[in-house]
Amino acid sequence: MSEAGPWIRHQVEDGASVLYLTGVWRLSNVTAIADALQSLGLRVRRQFVLDGSNLHEIDTAAGFTLYRHLAAIGCSASTVSVRGFDRRHERLLALVHERMTCPPAASRSVHRGLTRRIGAAAMHVWELLMSQTAFVGSVAVELLALVRRPRLFRLKETVSQFETICLDAIPIAALVTFLIGVVFAYLLGLQAQRYGANIFIVDGVGLAICRELSPLLVAVIVAGRSGAAFTAQIGTMKVQEEIDAISTLGLSPIQVLVIPRLVAIAIALPLLVFVGDLAGILGGVLVGELQLDISAVTFFDRLHSVLPMSAPVVGLVKAPVFAAFIALIACRMGLLVSRDARSVGVNTTSTVVQSIVWVILLDAIFAVVFQRLDI
Amino acid sequence: MDTSATPATDPRTEHVLEVDSIVTRFGAEAIHDGVSFKVRRGEVVALIGSSGTGKSVLVKEIIGLMRPTAGAIRLLGTDVWSASQDQLNALRRRFGMLFQDGALFSSLTVAENIFVPFHEHTDLPAALIPPLVGFKLALVGLPPEAGTKTPAELSGGMRKRVALARALALEPEILFLDEPTSGLDPISARAFDHLVRVLSDSLGLTVFIVTHDLDTLLSIVDRTIVLSEGKVIADGQVDAVRKLEAPWIKSYFSARA
Repeated sequence: MSEAGPWIRHQVEDGASVLYLTGVWRLSNVTAIADALQSLGLRVRRQFVLDGSNLHEIDTAAGFTLYRHLAAIGCSASTVSVRGFDRRHERLLALVHERMTCPPAASRSVHRGLTRRIGAAAMHVWELLMSQTAFVGSVAVELLALVRRPRLFRLKETVSQFETICLDAIPIAALVTFLIGVVFAYLLGLQAQRYGANIFIVDGVGLAICRELSPLLVAVIVAGRSGAAFTAQIGTMKVQEEIDAISTLGLSPIQVLVIPRLVAIAIALPLLVFVGDLAGILGGVLVGELQLDISAVTFFDRLHSVLPMSAPVVGLVKAPVFAAFIALIACRMGLLVSRDARSVGVNTTSTVVQSIVWVILLDAIFAVVFQRLDI
Repeated sequence: MDTSATPATDPRTEHVLEVDSIVTRFGAEAIHDGVSFKVRRGEVVALIGSSGTGKSVLVKEIIGLMRPTAGAIRLLGTDVWSASQDQLNALRRRFGMLFQDGALFSSLTVAENIFVPFHEHTDLPAALIPPLVGFKLALVGLPPEAGTKTPAELSGGMRKRVALARALALEPEILFLDEPTSGLDPISARAFDHLVRVLSDSLGLTVFIVTHDLDTLLSIVDRTIVLSEGKVIADGQVDAVRKLEAPWIKSYFSARA
């Protein structure tokens, strides 16, 4: 006879192994019970009898642990019998035994070497590119459809989006570009003061703000505000099956959701860039007044004569291109949202990151192109 | 080590749930106006009533998610709304809740979902948990391969079974089911009912079901409580209740095509 803690006692009676179960066999004690079973060092015999006359309680976790141990040492259903159990406990053990299956096979861990990973990544990028192109294609098709049937255009939706994208962003776009104008003018001024060439900051500020800083910064702000909003809105609609509902009603989700946003942002961004131009220049004016002894009148006078028309025009030409990229990326990521809780967040973050990277990339391309064209 | 057994009362008369004069008001509207009933250990009880009578709200109040405006609820001997946080947490390990659409954690696999209560509330060693998770899946009739799927890949019926497995993880004494058969085809619905009944009979589980399903009521339920216009209008065995003269009860039980 051997005893393992207050849980189980092993005795051989008439050639059969009898296991006396005692105490409270509950989930909270499963660890101790499993250890106790191990320490008994049972080996398979012709007959195993489980005696439950001293058992206070048993639940499925403990019952499962017992049966699993017995199966592990080689017992089968025919070699195990029960006696002395409360009716409830007997029913519970019967249920546990009936429902036990083989433990699930451990999933094969696929060790991926470097070549496989590069290959998988390349395939993934290719698929991504293909699906992006397909999306751009469908948007283009829908735009063409609009040209043939202008009635399809959803004016109210577009105007509503425009209000959110543009009007609500004016304060923040103005503030940011104003501050950048201040900083830039100050830095230029520090240098220019050394040579007594204060007035040249007007040229610098005007050019930098209108050509580069305002379009870039405003695009980044709009990507963060509106790009993220598009992805979150469309993504949530996707999860709630609203996109499917739109299709079922015979409407095109691209016409209803994507095109209004695309058109609205393509009109809004140049306007915001213009506001940024003004605010940035005003920042320069402020620094000129306070720091560099350039009165506002002098500033604008010089600006009028030195700022080439191309500078603000270039900025305003870049804006719709940035806008199109932001809108397409944002809407695409929204439509890709899947049904789990993390997906909307992950996709929204991805939209903002992608948009910013693309805006800067496009800006670099524009810089090279305009330089070649001598603009 | 936990050697305490549950209190030695006669299982047939012990009340696991006592709801006493619950009043719930949202603004000016009173959803519950004096709801009282008791549930004994081991019973399978159904709460029925037309849509909007606050059945789901009542269940949420019982399990401590929403606070009633007035009244008391004793669940497994603990007063839910005057218990301390520790007492409530201890209580939460003794019951299981199945939400209407499963409420599975969508970013985790099935196995990881069932793993959560074991991980949070027990100190089982890592080696012991996967077989136990596999067993819980088997208990609700799912194959072990289901463990690697995510909830999005499962059908409605499978999701509810996984949710049931998760609710049963910590060996609860009472199980709350919120419309478990809604959205299931008749075969899956009957199979689910049967599963619940078998578990209740074998494990001595008390089951409290909020349901619209007449078939559930007529096949596996011991007792039914009827909620109408904020009050309990009937409380007893299904056969007795269906013979009552109240108009809602009559139309409910004859609402078969």
